[in-house]
Order: sequence, then C-alpha cells, then structure tokens
Amino acid sequence: MAITFSGGIHVDGCKGTKTKAIENMPAPEFVALPLQQHIGAPVKATVAVGDRVTMGQVIGRNDNALSCPVHASVSGTVEKIETRNSYMGAGKTEYVIIKNDGEYELCESITPLEKKVTDLTCDEVIDLVREAGISGMGGATFPAYAKIQSAVGKAKELIINCAECEPFITANHRLLLERPMDVINGAKILMIALGLSKATFAIEDNKKNAAKVLEESLLDDKMFSVKLLKTKYPQGDERQIVYALNHVQIPTGKLPADVGCVIFNAETCDAIYHAVVDRMPLIARTVTIDGDCIAESKNLRIPLGTSYRDVIEYCGGIKGKLSKLINGGPMMGNTQWDLDGTVTKGTSALLFFSDKYEKKAAPCCIHCGKCVSVCPMHLEPVYLALFAKSGELDKCLDYNLMSCMECGSCSFICPGNVPIVQYIRKAKDKIKAKPKQQ
Amino acid sequence: MDFLKVTSSPHMRHEDSTRIIMLDVLIALCPALIWAVIVFGARALILTLVSVASCVLFEFLYRLIMKKPCSVGDLSAAVTGVLLAFCLPVSVPIWLPVVGSFFAIVIVKQLYGGIGKNVVNPALAARVFLFLAYPDKLGGSAFTIPKASLPLFGNVNLTPDVVASATPLANLSEGAAPTEDIFTLFLGERAGCIGEVSILMILAGALYLLVRKIITWHIPVAYIVTVAVVSYIFPASGMDAVQYVLCELCSGGLMLGAFFMATDYTTSPVSAKGRIIYGIGCGLITMFVRNCGGYPEGVSFAILIMNCLAWYIDKFTRPRVFGGAKKNVKK
Repeated sequence: MAITFSGGIHVDGCKGTKTKAIENMPAPEFVALPLQQHIGAPVKATVAVGDRVTMGQVIGRNDNALSCPVHASVSGTVEKIETRNSYMGAGKTEYVIIKNDGEYELCESITPLEKKVTDLTCDEVIDLVREAGISGMGGATFPAYAKIQSAVGKAKELIINCAECEPFITANHRLLLERPMDVINGAKILMIALGLSKATFAIEDNKKNAAKVLEESLLDDKMFSVKLLKTKYPQGDERQIVYALNHVQIPTGKLPADVGCVIFNAETCDAIYHAVVDRMPLIARTVTIDGDCIAESKNLRIPLGTSYRDVIEYCGGIKGKLSKLINGGPMMGNTQWDLDGTVTKGTSALLFFSDKYEKKAAPCCIHCGKCVSVCPMHLEPVYLALFAKSGELDKCLDYNLMSCMECGSCSFICPGNVPIVQYIRKAKDKIKAKPKQQ
Repeated sequence: MDFLKVTSSPHMRHEDSTRIIMLDVLIALCPALIWAVIVFGARALILTLVSVASCVLFEFLYRLIMKKPCSVGDLSAAVTGVLLAFCLPVSVPIWLPVVGSFFAIVIVKQLYGGIGKNVVNPALAARVFLFLAYPDKLGGSAFTIPKASLPLFGNVNLTPDVVASATPLANLSEGAAPTEDIFTLFLGERAGCIGEVSILMILAGALYLLVRKIITWHIPVAYIVTVAVVSYIFPASGMDAVQYVLCELCSGGLMLGAFFMATDYTTSPVSAKGRIIYGIGCGLITMFVRNCGGYPEGVSFAILIMNCLAWYIDKFTRPRVFGGAKKNVKK
C-alpha cells in the first residue's frame, strides 16, 4: 500500500520522457550565468570583463550572506557582465556572459578528495557543499549547505525526495535509473556529516522500476529503506512527504528539522556526492525538455547558463504555436518572457506549451468547495481568494493565508477557472510590503 | 518574435468546467425524468421543457438587459429549470413553471449576482413561492394518480377519477401507513411531484454524481441518516419502527432534495465538517415540519433555512490548517 497525505490532486502525469535516457548536451558558444540562482542574497562577480576563466572556477560569491557561489560552466573569456530581467520571477539580476573557448579546461581546484569520506567532519562537508554552490535542485533552490547546518543535532532521519510529483518532469526518475549509486553515496555523505543512522528514499509509485533499482542497490544496507508514495500532487512538498512517511505535521512556521527530518532532493544528493568526492562544483544539471511545442522531447544534462534558444535548437526546434515557456514544472514553474533566459540551478524542466492546456472561460466562483477538498494545507482557498480579491488582508491572515505554499492544486481543480493562487500571491505581496505594526 | 505569454502558475487546469458539471447534473436527472414520463405521461416532459426553456430565456434576457456577459452557456439555468419542474405536481397548468422560472432566475438568482452568489436555492425558493401563491394548484388535492390520462397541454380537470386520495407522505403525516407497499414506493409508482417519486431512479442519478465526484457524500448521507434516526426514535403510533423509517425515507421529496437540492454548491457549506452539520440540520428541520408542522412535506423549508445558515456554518467549521495548533486560538 502506497502512503500519502490528505488532499491533493490527481494530474495526468504526461511523463512521456521517462524512457528517454539522459543525454549530455554540448555547451554552446556563449553561456550567461545569473549571479542569483538560489534563495538568499545575490553573489558579487569576482571576475572582470576580459578575464580568462576555467571550467568550475568561481565567478561570483558572497560569503557574508545566505548564498551559493556561482561557477563558470565552460572555460573561456568573460565577454560582458550586464543586468538583465530576472528569469526567476520579478526584478533584475546581474549576468556574467562567458565566451566558450571549447577547451573545457578544468579549474585546478577540482581534484579528488584526499581524505577518506568516512573521516570527514560535518563542517568539512558543509564547506565543500557551500564551495560547490549547491542549492536545492527540486525547484525551491534553498542553499544546501544552510539546510545541512539547520539540521545539525536536530535531524534523526534523512529523507531523499524522489517524489517528482510535477507532471512532465522525469529528470530525477532517469537519474535514479541510470546513476543510483551517485544518489545513494550522496545520501551516505549527508548521513556521515549529520551522524544519522536512518535514511528513507520516498518515491511515487509511478516510478516502481526506479524504486526497484534503489532496493537492489541497497540490499544489505539496514540503514536505508525505500518507501512508495501514492502518485499525487503535491506529494513532493516537504511537509506532505514528512506527513506521508511519519504521520507528523510540521508545525506552522517550523522546519522539517524541528520534527527530526532533513529532506534532500535526489539530484541534490547526486550533486553533493560529486562536490565532496570529486570536488566538482554545480555547473550542469538534468533538465526535462517536453511540451507539445518542442520537436523532440528529451532528458538532457545541460551546462548552466545555456540559453533556451540553444536548448530549442538542440531539440529540433519549435513546432506549432508556442504560447508559454515554463521554467520548472507546469504546476509551480515560472513562465518566461522570451527565449533569452538560461538554464539555472533551479531549472528542473523546460516546458514548451501551446494554449491547449488553458481554460478560456471567464473566472466565476460557484462555491463548489473543490478547492477546499484538494488543499494539502487544509486551507479554504475559496475564501482566501474572495478576501484577497476584495483586499481584506486581515481576514486573509485570519484564514491562514501565509500557510499557503502556492502549489496550485486549487487553481488546477477550479471548475470556475478562478486564478486562486494568483489572488493569494498578490495578497501575500501586499502583506509583506506593509510595514509591521508592533 | 512575439513575446510569450506570462501567467501565474499553475499552467495546467482540470478539464471539468462549470458547464461540464452542470451537464453532469442534467445527465444525472435523466433517469428520474424518464420515470416521470412513464408514470405521469408526456405532460411531465412538456412541463419540464417549458420550465427549462423559460429559465434559460429569463437568464438570457436578464443578462442582456443588464449588459452583463451571457451566462446561459454554463447550463446552471437549465439545471434550475429541471429541478423546478421536478418539484411540481404534473397537474399544474403549463404556464405555472414560467412564473416559477421568473421568480427563480430573476429574483432569487440574478438579483443577487448570478451563479455562485445567490443565498438560497432558486428552484426550491420558486417552488415555495408557487406553493404559497397557488395553494390549490400545488396543494394536497393537486396530486394525480399514476398513469392517469392527462391532457398534454390543456388544463387538468381535477376530477375524482384522476386525483389521488392522498400521497404517501400525506398518509404518514396523518399517522397512517401509506397504501403502497415499500417496494412500490422505492420503485416510484405513486402520486407525487414529477421528479421525486422514484427513489430508484434518483439513486441511479445520485450514484453517477458521486462517481463523477460532482457531489460528496457528506450532505446527503448526513441528511438521510438524520431523517432515519429521528423517525426511528419517534415512529408513528401503530407502525413498526423500521417500516416507518423506510416509508419516511421513500416518501415525499427527501431523496430528490438530499441528493440534488441540498448539494447545490452555491448554497451549501464547503468544508466536510460543515457539510455534515448542514445535512443534519436539514434532516432535523424536515422531520420537525413533517411531524409537527401544518404541511406534510418539510424538505423545501428545511433546505431553504439551512441555505441561509450555510455561510455561518462555513465560518464556524473552518478546518484546522495543516501544522496548526490543536485549538485555533483567537487573537
């Protein structure tokens, strides 16, 4: 029996790419690396225009704030540093543009670890992970080193999040099938660092073959277990995964570590393994390319900073009328203004959609309550949307607006086509903008 | 190149729209309609069609005159039309549903802002309006026996050979057992309103709605169980309690009301807990009116009263937020 949480939605998985092996996409002529690819403060450029950089060299860092260093994903020369619109949402970000010299000369700091992994201390692992610039690769992009720090002494169990509940995305699924040991070894490093003796792979039951591969790779390891979760969105959310596994609700405003868990995405574990053992920074990631407007859907390992245009070209071009380009999954991903954006640390998928997934009807709430029954946070989105729309922010707060994680289940299910999450986001922005009255 | 479309996530939507949901409700009402035609003849179909047509027309005209976007396409007016006809006796004049439709669509629904905004169920409010305005046409003496030969369009002459001596519910409210056996009541070969008579057909439609997840079980189950429990505790004198319970369940408009009227989205609560309280309230008021009131039937009054309380029930049955404290401490 697969375990799960209450609420949530059953979405057509659309996981047509699950049989497509990960291909390495060659680096393009230019890569454009934004200096903010994570939650936290942006980093400052440590290179200047005209500098020669090697692959894996740090080009931006900010050691005084919550941040992840950014590394060159190719070797070459810094062509320019410019401010562009951010592709992670609103605002502007600085970009470092590097002209690829085609040499792929590795930075000399990238050398195999001299120590035995088992001799590493927690602080050494945190330093290595931070130096490698790893942020959470499921989409939220929280700096991984900070997450390890937050779990020190508190976490008793490591959860490896392999749920991949967003439709279309199969990057983690492929990674688990093709390189399960890298993920497992990454998890082991985390267990050594945090002194844990229990780890659970949480995987949705639409990936039974990957669960089997994991089980076979972990046969005589008593510390690990593989748990099947019901295929349901948003099963991959941290709160829902902890609830499904341990039947514990993380209290409002607390972290998983407060209930003894620490959760890392499967690909983050893979990145941590390479960061510690090979000292390879995060300069490429697995991305699912799909949607009805891309000629060939693929799973690609793409150097960070590769532009959408280069990806489209590699996948045979656009077919049909492209309406939306989504960076991330269809439920929580960001739509992009144009094709000049680039693959970053949080890009789990690039989806090219025509307008066939859209509903056209004018929004009209019929008070059906479907949003209430699907809300995984047990909120009443119908009233949140009502109060948010009429600007009654106090009532929004009273109805626990801030607990909304914007998973989009309510908007998805709404027969009246009400953009509930959009109203909620706007209300949240207004509340955050208001000066706090003490 | 053109700019791409930028929208707030999610970028996928479930295929069900208001129109599809209403279409499902219409489909679910079909078995009861077919049965009505079998028992009451083609006049039942004609009354239903007149009711639907006038509801849709009033909705269209109101939106046109008030310069609002046309909302006929969501089919909610058509559902109101069918439900209104379903709670009228087959002997009513053909023009009566038109009056009811005007009241339902214009006064109860559109003046409050249209679908999703009305406070009470339009079809039921219109039924009660007609019931009070035309007591002779909807009252106890207006029910005809099953399979009576009635004119298709003309006025029905309520002569003793077509009028039913009493509906099962009228019998019950006088403390007498219905003349029909329970199986006949379940099948629906009895006097009554057009759409309410066959429990079997209503349950078939209700099952469809449940399977399609258009309605949840909470309201109808809470409603019906409450009626069953109350009638078990206070049975009519001289009747076996279980038999009495079954008669109460299979008479009147309880099943139609529980599955198709009380579950109306706009006028019922949204949370599971709220829906159960609402269903229990409907059941208690229904039994109160049936046993202590001056009318044999209490379903329409019960649902209309609970409609008015739905928003308050919602307010006091908010689910506990995931990860929230056990008790919702008020500031």
